[in-house]
Amino acid sequence: MSRTTTAFTIGIKEQARNYVLVALLVVLPVSFITLAFAVTQDVEMPVRTLVDGETVTVMRGMPEVHGVIMTPITSALIAGLAGLFLMREAKDTDGRLAVAGYRARQVITARFGVLAAITLIVTGVSVGVMLVDFQPEHLWWFVAAMLVVSVTYGLIGMLVGAVFDRLAGMWLMLILPMLDIGLFQDPLFIQSEPEWWMKLLPGYWPVRVMVDTGLTTDVDTTLSLVWATGYLLLVAVLTIGVYYRITQEK
Amino acid sequence: MNRVWTGIRANVSTFLRTPLNVVLALLLPIVVIEGWGQAMAGLPSMPTVEAIPIELGRLLGAIFGVAIIAGLMGLAQMISARAADRRLVQTGYPPRTLLATRLAALGGVTVVVAAVNYGVLWLTISPGAPVLTFVFLVLAGLVYAFLGALVGALLPRLFEGSLVVVFLAMMDAFLSGDSPLAADVPEFVEYFPLYHPKELLQEAMFQGTYTTGDLGFVAGYLLVLLVLVTAVFGVTMRTSGGWSA
Repeated sequence: MSRTTTAFTIGIKEQARNYVLVALLVVLPVSFITLAFAVTQDVEMPVRTLVDGETVTVMRGMPEVHGVIMTPITSALIAGLAGLFLMREAKDTDGRLAVAGYRARQVITARFGVLAAITLIVTGVSVGVMLVDFQPEHLWWFVAAMLVVSVTYGLIGMLVGAVFDRLAGMWLMLILPMLDIGLFQDPLFIQSEPEWWMKLLPGYWPVRVMVDTGLTTDVDTTLSLVWATGYLLLVAVLTIGVYYRITQEK
Repeated sequence: MNRVWTGIRANVSTFLRTPLNVVLALLLPIVVIEGWGQAMAGLPSMPTVEAIPIELGRLLGAIFGVAIIAGLMGLAQMISARAADRRLVQTGYPPRTLLATRLAALGGVTVVVAAVNYGVLWLTISPGAPVLTFVFLVLAGLVYAFLGALVGALLPRLFEGSLVVVFLAMMDAFLSGDSPLAADVPEFVEYFPLYHPKELLQEAMFQGTYTTGDLGFVAGYLLVLLVLVTAVFGVTMRTSGGWSA
């Protein structure tokens, strides 16, 4: 077994041993998303999205629109907090692994692997719960955008964990996705052209894809998914750089 | 009495020793209140969906801001100091005194956080009853601070604790906040932590009055949380007299 696999397996076992965490990763998305669907008014609301390459306003049921937003916010929040705490643990322990002979890339790959596993579980559970009440028009595009936004937030959590302590990190990793996905990218609240700074937020491109592929019959946001992936890669490069520095500092 | 003051001073200075925490505790309310207000004001008015005035949006942002900052502070306060607290108890520090210092420090910082939120609100809205508005904002913060402390006393790690507090606060803000998106809100929402503080705050802010029943409910809520935190903390700090606990 390679060192990377060993570190990854230990990381996964460490999380899986914690039954409270495993339970929460399932219970929270189920309860939050189900509740959101259950209490949202069943009325048609105007939604701004792309249809045949043009930005138009279409009428869609509020529970569906709300579902398109609540699902990514759930997984982004959990992935972000997971990234934050993984980085905080890494700051405490990974330097020692480097001293024990681990190469930085082996440690980084293992840690990212654990984050990816948590993100996959949370995304899977969130989408699964959503499907009970709402089926996106293009499921796999929707899932792809969900994964991109969740991983992006997981990595942002890691970056935040490198700079801030646990308390400040928790504040940021709650408030950032809440404002970004829950308010500034929510087509119910933003009915006109978004401000320039809203487009810089991590949720802008992926949520655009989710609104389009979730609520309309044509896929008009291929380019947005490319931009979202570019954003993710940029955050990943930054995170790897920061991780490298932290591991070497020890 | 000396022990209590020493404990409170130590807890407050631990918070102040991290300047980034202080800066964020001052900056986040501005971001949350304005962000909440501006975004919510964008909701279009439909036959069964009422538009949210920007002032109400800001007020809801302030309640959520105070609650979440205080709640996560309470959580972090309990979990990060657990090992140290055990040692203090073993050296003869009474658990109740220890808890009292933690909660008093938490209460003090919550008042400051509420004051910052109130200040931001005051810049854009003139409250009907300024003192009451501030007091009710403090109460909303205290409820979540104690709730965070309770979760922190119950759960082993910050990751799990933060998930519980964060999702509870999100559901609470959505259901208790009279969201125009929601219908058929279950009756048990009345027992959510922010429901009555929000009612109090809204009334004080826009009408300059308050309902005694809501105030009594919040006081009872705080008392129950205090009893629960004390009981759980007492159990987790129980030592058999040896070094192994």
